[in-house]
Amino acid sequence: MHEKLNKYLEEISHYLAAVSEKEEILNEIKSHILEKAEQEFGQTNKGALDKVIDNYGSPRKVAEKYIEDFEIIAPRFKGYLLRYTGALFALHFSLILLSFVFKTSMLVFPFFYIPYINSLQGLFYVPMSFVFDLGLVGIFLYFVTQSQKDIRLPWFKLKINWQKTAQKRQGRSRVIPFILMFMGYAALVWIYLRFNTLFFKTIDFQNAQSLLTPAASQWYSSALLALLGIGLAAYAVKFFNTSEWANLLKSGFQLLILGIVINKRIEAPFQFPYLNLQVMANILITVILILIAIDFLKSVIIMGRKSLAKIAYQKNNLIEGKK
Amino acid sequence: MATDITPFETEMNRGFLQVLVLVLLERKMYGYYIVKKLKKKGYLIEENTLYPLLRRLEKKGLIKSQWDVSEKRPRKFYIISKKGQDVRRQLLSIWQRQNEILIHISKENKNA
Repeated sequence: MHEKLNKYLEEISHYLAAVSEKEEILNEIKSHILEKAEQEFGQTNKGALDKVIDNYGSPRKVAEKYIEDFEIIAPRFKGYLLRYTGALFALHFSLILLSFVFKTSMLVFPFFYIPYINSLQGLFYVPMSFVFDLGLVGIFLYFVTQSQKDIRLPWFKLKINWQKTAQKRQGRSRVIPFILMFMGYAALVWIYLRFNTLFFKTIDFQNAQSLLTPAASQWYSSALLALLGIGLAAYAVKFFNTSEWANLLKSGFQLLILGIVINKRIEAPFQFPYLNLQVMANILITVILILIAIDFLKSVIIMGRKSLAKIAYQKNNLIEGKK
Repeated sequence: MATDITPFETEMNRGFLQVLVLVLLERKMYGYYIVKKLKKKGYLIEENTLYPLLRRLEKKGLIKSQWDVSEKRPRKFYIISKKGQDVRRQLLSIWQRQNEILIHISKENKNA
């Protein structure tokens, strides 16, 4: 009899799928529409109902009014979404690096299982782990929101004034550090060309003895020079362009080189087997890897913050413009 | 070009509507009657705004509702609760104070 009304209510019901009082809401709307049709048109025939329904609003708009107060994550917790994800991802990422360096899988109960992966698989695994961390934090904040309790979530008291830091960075002269870095790098290149290594048993150039075998010397010294060279090049680029992209690319390339070094490790690299240096070398590589990874994440966060600030600025400008 | 004040009006109406409904529901009424009553007073309220508002007020315990099925057509009647009366009294006093502040500052601006 009221085919259009039923269809209309059905559509609203579709949008209210997650609302517990759905049936009651639909009854209210039905009762109102029938009442209005009868009061204003004297009957509840098709024509009258059509008019009343059209006037009531589209099903989506009607449903939205009931769910606009429903919060997945309360505004006061939204800031924690990226903070907690960042912290969790830093931990996750460190574990991935450790499993990569020590060539082993890891299980940190109850959340993390980190399989041993090569660098190519890592390219896919790292973004996936970020999405996983984001989801995990999202679920946690969802439950905190739904608990309706006045919970104060913990966070470090550290306050970084990004604008001030950037101003400080811009104000500082880059010329002298660059000259020093360049000279240091040139000295390392000279040492490498002269002695075919950058790793010595003792600091005695008269009687220089390489710590590593010739093949390992060449491989690891070239890698070290490449790492430092990229750092120096990125520093030079900043004379012309202060974009965070330079930092991001720098640490990205450094991570790539380190990945290659770890993957193509030379067996028995030490010339002096009585020196048990393998563990120390592993620790050193891990520390370097973590430092570069932190640098990489820092660049990603800074770029993320800048683009968010830019969006907010454009949005504000748009509002101002409209006014 | 005149500024479109619709978004500002919508925001302002949110609070006003709550008080208005709490004042109106001193006597029990059903949804359609509330719309009609307000229309007579010169205030147009969209039906699809009124019902979600009534639901929110009921959830907060400020009003109570009951279906009346004795008539030909079932109607849901709403009436203010004890808690609602208390909240209404406080909201009205806030509104009065805000109104006085506005009038006072406007007068000051005129005399300046």
